Amino acid sequence: MRILVVEDEPRLLSNLAKALREEGYAVDTADAGDDGLYKAENCDYDAIVLDIMLPRLDGWEVLDRLRKQKQTPVLMLTARDATRDRVRGLDTGADDYLVKPFDLTELLARLRALIRRSAGQARSKVEVRDLVIDTRARTITRAGQAVTLTAREYAILEYLVLHRGEVVTRTELYEHLFDESDDTLSNLLDVHIFSIRKKLGAELIATRRGQGYGIES
Amino acid sequence: MFTKSIRWRLQLWQAFLLVCILIGFGVTAYQLNRTNRLSQIDAELEHRLSALSGDVRGRPPFGPPPGRPPFASAEDAPKERMPLGPPPEHPPFEPGHDSPFPRRPEPDSRAPRGRMEDFLETREIRLAPRTLSLFDQTETNDFYFAIWTRGGNLLKRSTNAPADLSLPVRLDALTGIHPRLREANREAYQFTEIGECVLVGRSIASDLRATQRFALWLITAGGAVLVIGLGGGWWVAGRALRPVEDISAAASRISAGRLSERIDVADTDSELGRLAAVLNSTFARLEAAFAQQKQFTADASHELRTPIAVIISEAQTTLARERTAAEYRETVGVCLDTAQQMRRLTQSLLELARYDAGQESIERRPVNLAERMRAGIELVRPLARERGIQIHSNLVPAEALGDADRLDQVITNLLANAVHYNRPNGEIRVSVLPENGAVILTVADTGQGIAPEDLPPICGRFYRADKARSRANGHSGLGLAICQAIVDAHGGSLEVASQLGVGTTVTLRLPSPLDKIPPPP
Repeated sequence: MRILVVEDEPRLLSNLAKALREEGYAVDTADAGDDGLYKAENCDYDAIVLDIMLPRLDGWEVLDRLRKQKQTPVLMLTARDATRDRVRGLDTGADDYLVKPFDLTELLARLRALIRRSAGQARSKVEVRDLVIDTRARTITRAGQAVTLTAREYAILEYLVLHRGEVVTRTELYEHLFDESDDTLSNLLDVHIFSIRKKLGAELIATRRGQGYGIES
Repeated sequence: MFTKSIRWRLQLWQAFLLVCILIGFGVTAYQLNRTNRLSQIDAELEHRLSALSGDVRGRPPFGPPPGRPPFASAEDAPKERMPLGPPPEHPPFEPGHDSPFPRRPEPDSRAPRGRMEDFLETREIRLAPRTLSLFDQTETNDFYFAIWTRGGNLLKRSTNAPADLSLPVRLDALTGIHPRLREANREAYQFTEIGECVLVGRSIASDLRATQRFALWLITAGGAVLVIGLGGGWWVAGRALRPVEDISAAASRISAGRLSERIDVADTDSELGRLAAVLNSTFARLEAAFAQQKQFTADASHELRTPIAVIISEAQTTLARERTAAEYRETVGVCLDTAQQMRRLTQSLLELARYDAGQESIERRPVNLAERMRAGIELVRPLARERGIQIHSNLVPAEALGDADRLDQVITNLLANAVHYNRPNGEIRVSVLPENGAVILTVADTGQGIAPEDLPPICGRFYRADKARSRANGHSGLGLAICQAIVDAHGGSLEVASQLGVGTTVTLRLPSPLDKIPPPP
């Protein structure tokens, strides 16, 4: 999953990015409204964490303009907690609203929920054949047995599971799993897919030649 | 108590005045009326008395005195004149009889006394018809008369004279006419030269009753006027005071919380209109002050929330898993920096709050501004050197009355800004110059400048012209606001002029007592 964080306080921005990456997300950052809008319009993020008080273009504006083009889930983050502001945020198109100072674990949980919801997934546990994927604990259980996957492998599997029944192109996988800060050595998709097949069975992920991968629902 | 109410007080005063006026008027009218009546009656009495006295004395009542040319008509002539010499004997005159013998006594001092006495005691008095007509009983004016002898015996009286006639007391030897009031009768009497008393009177009972009726009428009318006056006054006072009630009610509503409301001022030039206008402007100022306070509080809490979020986020992330010692150090360092940033921020906020509340006590001692500027320059010199910035100064010794520490704060802030917002290898020009009654400090830099739309609010709280950059460096936007507060507390002024891309100049003006300015070099 790829997340965009738009926040002007630099320490907070870097900290959030770090925390999210440690959770297995690919994270892009922007410290001003116009930058954030540009990135959001040009990439399909799985979720956006958006601060309101931003230089050059404030959060309201970014959200408003983004919604004309994309339905990316947006979690608004701000120090303004008046009900009026919350309502405004939610009505303008935000999917959730979190007040600073916030609890990091709460932020992560809400992000997970956002992503799940946008994939049409109500609960945090997904079952595919004999696999149980706990998106909250980031664990896989196969026929009751826990299976260990690397962070990258888990991310790829989670994405394919949440988009099961669809064909996910390689480009899409690239876009959603690697952020701009990634160095190129770690993004060999094929290696990861191979490793997943080895751990979970070859029939789980189907390959469509020339198109991409997919998990059948 | 209702004496507190203006309306009631007005009413009481009005009642008091009205009553006084009405009483004065009523009493005067009554007295005048009474006096008028009495003098009228007295005049009539006098008239009759004169006629009667004339008859009694023997003088013709109408016409020339004896010896004069003949009378106009026979009727006017006395019927008979008293012959000189002893009068014939006659039976004493009986009271009650009206037709006297045609006799008229003539005072003759040569006549022997004794016989004169007898004569006087018993003579008969003849009255002229005209005189008699004055005492005509058929008319409603029932005048009566009585005549006493020198000895006090009733010589003659009219038939309608009251039974309780009494001889008046002779007060002096004069023969003037004296009025008197005896019960309900007004009488006028006169002592003739020979001591006889002639009295004419009239019952004035009806007049007295008329006067009483008049008095009653006055009282009633006065009462009615009083009631109408008070009623009218109450109504007028009510109308005049109603706007006061309205204003009072509106003001209570507004001060209870609805500060955006204003008193409706229909008649702006009246006294109440002016009062309402003053109240309205006060409310406007209150509203502005509250709004500013609200804004300040909101901004302040916002400014504090972000550093708190940083600390929490940083700490939580670091604690989420095992970290290296270096990572822990970094996190702890970030937390410390952020906490210190918050400390500075809260200090600035408290300072501003104290200036707002007027609680900061400003020392008033002579401060050598050139010296303080020099010290400030030395403070920022290392920072400036780092960025290759040159500092040029023109410092003329000048003193102002103020607080040295606070002024240092301002100077340091301005110089730091000049370094911070300058371009690399730029310049800073500083000057301290005395002027008439003031000291002018200027700090000019060659930095990026401030856009014209950012200039008016630049000294506002939390205002940052370059929002992204200054936030990154931990600037809160309070520096200039505090400078402004300090300068204001000193009674001075702070002005910021700037051109984008060229530079910014801050001009500080502090009042200085004239005798403290050293003579120009």
